[in-house]
Amino acid sequence: MLKNDLMVKNPLRGLVNDTNTLLAKGEFGAILARAGVGKTAFIVQIALSGLLQHKNVLHVSLDEPVQKVSLWYEEVFRRFAESYGPTPVQHLWETILTHRFIMTFQVEDFSVSKLAERVSDLTEQAIFFPQIILIDGLSFSEPPTEILNALRPLARQWGVGVWFTARIHRPEATDAVGSPKPPDAIIDLFETAIQLDPDDNRVHVRILKGPRAKTEHAGLLLDPSTMLIMDKSVQ
Amino acid sequence: MDDRIQKVRNIGISAHIDSGKTTLTERILYYTDRIHAIHDVKGKDGVGATMDAMELERERGITIASAATYCEWKGHQINIIDTPGHVDFTIEVERALRVLDGAVLVLCAVGGVQSQSMTVDQQMKRYNVPCIAFINKCDRSGADPDRVIAQLKKKLGHNAVTMQIPIGLEADFEGIIDLVTMKAIYFDGPNGEIIRTEDIPEAYMDTAQAQREALIDSASMFSDDLMEAALEEQVTEELLIAAVRNGALARELTPVFIGSAYKNKGVQPLLDAVSHYLPCPADVVNHALDMEKDEATMVLETNPDMPVVALAFKLEDGPFGQLTYIRVYQGTLAKGTAVINVRDGKKIKIGRLVRMHADQMEDIDQIRAGYIGTLFGIDCASGDTFVSPGLSVTMTSMFVPNPVISLAITPANNSSLVKMSKALNRFTKEDPTFRTYVNNETRETIVEGMGELHLEVYVERMRREYDVELSTSAPRVSYRETITRKADFDYIHKKQTGGSGQFGRVGGYMEPSPDEDFIFENNVTGGAIPTQFIPACEKGFKACLAKGPKMEFSVTGIKIVISDGASHSVDSSDMAFQAAARGAFLQAYAKAAPVIHEPIMRVVVETPTEFQGVVMGSLNQRRGMIVGTQEDGPLCAIEAQIPLAEMFGYTTVLRSLTQGQAQFTMEFAVYRKVPQSVAEELIKKREDNKRQVA
Repeated sequence: MLKNDLMVKNPLRGLVNDTNTLLAKGEFGAILARAGVGKTAFIVQIALSGLLQHKNVLHVSLDEPVQKVSLWYEEVFRRFAESYGPTPVQHLWETILTHRFIMTFQVEDFSVSKLAERVSDLTEQAIFFPQIILIDGLSFSEPPTEILNALRPLARQWGVGVWFTARIHRPEATDAVGSPKPPDAIIDLFETAIQLDPDDNRVHVRILKGPRAKTEHAGLLLDPSTMLIMDKSVQ
Repeated sequence: MDDRIQKVRNIGISAHIDSGKTTLTERILYYTDRIHAIHDVKGKDGVGATMDAMELERERGITIASAATYCEWKGHQINIIDTPGHVDFTIEVERALRVLDGAVLVLCAVGGVQSQSMTVDQQMKRYNVPCIAFINKCDRSGADPDRVIAQLKKKLGHNAVTMQIPIGLEADFEGIIDLVTMKAIYFDGPNGEIIRTEDIPEAYMDTAQAQREALIDSASMFSDDLMEAALEEQVTEELLIAAVRNGALARELTPVFIGSAYKNKGVQPLLDAVSHYLPCPADVVNHALDMEKDEATMVLETNPDMPVVALAFKLEDGPFGQLTYIRVYQGTLAKGTAVINVRDGKKIKIGRLVRMHADQMEDIDQIRAGYIGTLFGIDCASGDTFVSPGLSVTMTSMFVPNPVISLAITPANNSSLVKMSKALNRFTKEDPTFRTYVNNETRETIVEGMGELHLEVYVERMRREYDVELSTSAPRVSYRETITRKADFDYIHKKQTGGSGQFGRVGGYMEPSPDEDFIFENNVTGGAIPTQFIPACEKGFKACLAKGPKMEFSVTGIKIVISDGASHSVDSSDMAFQAAARGAFLQAYAKAAPVIHEPIMRVVVETPTEFQGVVMGSLNQRRGMIVGTQEDGPLCAIEAQIPLAEMFGYTTVLRSLTQGQAQFTMEFAVYRKVPQSVAEELIKKREDNKRQVA
């Protein structure tokens, strides 16, 4: 029951494409924002939204240890569930956990071939078959074209959509509130690009590219106190 | 403040198994003239390291019981508690940390921050123990102190600062550069006892200067004087040491030292660091609970003239009777004085007092506040508080986890039975996580503990130290039962078979209580059950918890609410209501969808990356849920949650899968429902057993 509630009330449902997923197989999506705005919280909610549909999520983190990533999930799930009432969630939490796998690498050691090797370790022994992959912490100071190009055929082969978090920088000359539009060179790498744009006390979710890009700004906000995604209309 | 107390250090040496704690302690004892020859842990000379006093420890190369020892270094009196490195003995580590003022966190220059280091670090945080880090084994191939320092920062969140840099590494490790004195230090002589101080080699000058700058930057956050001196470029050794000490005592800075205990390098500077950067007993605020003020927290003063408050933190059975390791927090414990054991109110006269040095001892007249010593011939349990007559305080109770594994032990003959009960009596007093009871049905003696190795060690100790001949059953997992939905009860207990009758009726409901083991709520109104029988009802329900109706495992996570009932003016009694409660429990329990829960362990395997695939496969086969993998250079840590029942014998499996290069730690995580197929298997097994017994 709680699971259904969470799925129906999931604000991300407004972003789904025709196949009822956020990304089609082999597609790339990016969450772009400045440091500290809530990229990881957002991507964890994308993961939870997949986990609630029993999709296997592989979370690749390049700068946080496993325990810290787990904490992100626990915290976001708890807040997510709390926002829909005080129903006990332990059982649901334990059920969805079996669909999640966390892999962490040192940023400097990460390579697509290493990831491919690890994923085949998992699939060959039937331990885990990812259906959504999240890569958190990849450096975007230069567009990581090489990594993405190498990953694209693998994503198609595995039949997964891959989400990335990308940190963008505020141009030095401006002190204006909010973020500048990220460079096209970065946006061009993805089928879907979502920017988190903070103003005084809210974080706007702007869809820069993707199936719903034309339909206003998805009407979504990130609540800065809980880091949960919410509908503007609910506010 | 008493000048003497400022020169006292009570320290622990904590770390991951095999990172060289015992070797380091051995070297410390050698350089402080407490021993006159060095023996290795797995010594070819058959002597073994001095701190590993138990025969079993020597054989396995691990430290089990933390021996306390005393030494002196440049006018400082240092009490060292050598703590065990295996997670199964965590209670020992926790107890040691409770009585320590500071600790040395030993890390391996090759293995870095491993899972056990994280557990130990969390324990240090819990007891707020300031620490310094020592990166050992810098002579080993693959040694990389910089990587370890980075891990200290990232994995453990320490504000780690480099105090020394190595001159050469691995086989070329020659000595160290001290960034405070800006001198190169070499360790000459057959056992590294001759310290040669020279100027820093030209090739290391730039690095040393850059690192010193970084050190001053970090340290100046804890001292305005140092910050001013740094701006004026007049930093003195004293200022720098004082600033680092301030940071370390506040647990906001972790000074990092390097060396190789095995190659006799870097140990003496580490002893200097212990005196410089770790607190004296007076620097630490210790608390006790005042029993007369509803357990209000009170601060103890490290003053030898005040009434005594002391904690017995470890018991050992020596050749001359029971030894009780004690830490005095306040007052002075002197020979011939009397103290009260707060737990049972018994008065004890202090007889012989000694200072321990592993398994040798030295007589003393008194133990003053802040010191650690040993009492002879006192009957007490570990964790007991001793106070002066008239005082009623207790040291904060220590967190003791529940055991998760059990084993039936059967002595071979009568004489072994006597010796076994003597041994069990001792062990249960020494270690609160080790418990024992007799199963009323099978008449077997059951021992319970925190892991396979934990029980194995005690069984071995019974054989060796107490000469007990015994056989053991296969280890059993401590399963539990619980209910998953609410169910009502309304039960009448009525008996009228001559003599006075019995009558009692209880009505209400039971429901799951995820956070508490047992809750009893009385909502009876209008005297439907007279007040004097309510405790009998509770007792009746409680009696049912020990053995669940489904599988005879203990029942937990249950809330009982009684809201109705009836009594009879003549026939109702405590007995009748206890029986009614038992009947009501059985009536509702079957309807409340009972399930079996099993202990799930958090298992972390550390393995070279090339074995990652096979290790994951082996974990997956054990009904494990792999939470994640963490790659870190050539090593990889795999974290999984696995039922304890599947982990028996995993050490051997892992060893053969990884050519002995992987190791794992395991600790209790949570109780979780067993899958249906396993539950059916358990039920079948139980029926088979019953048939066999019949």
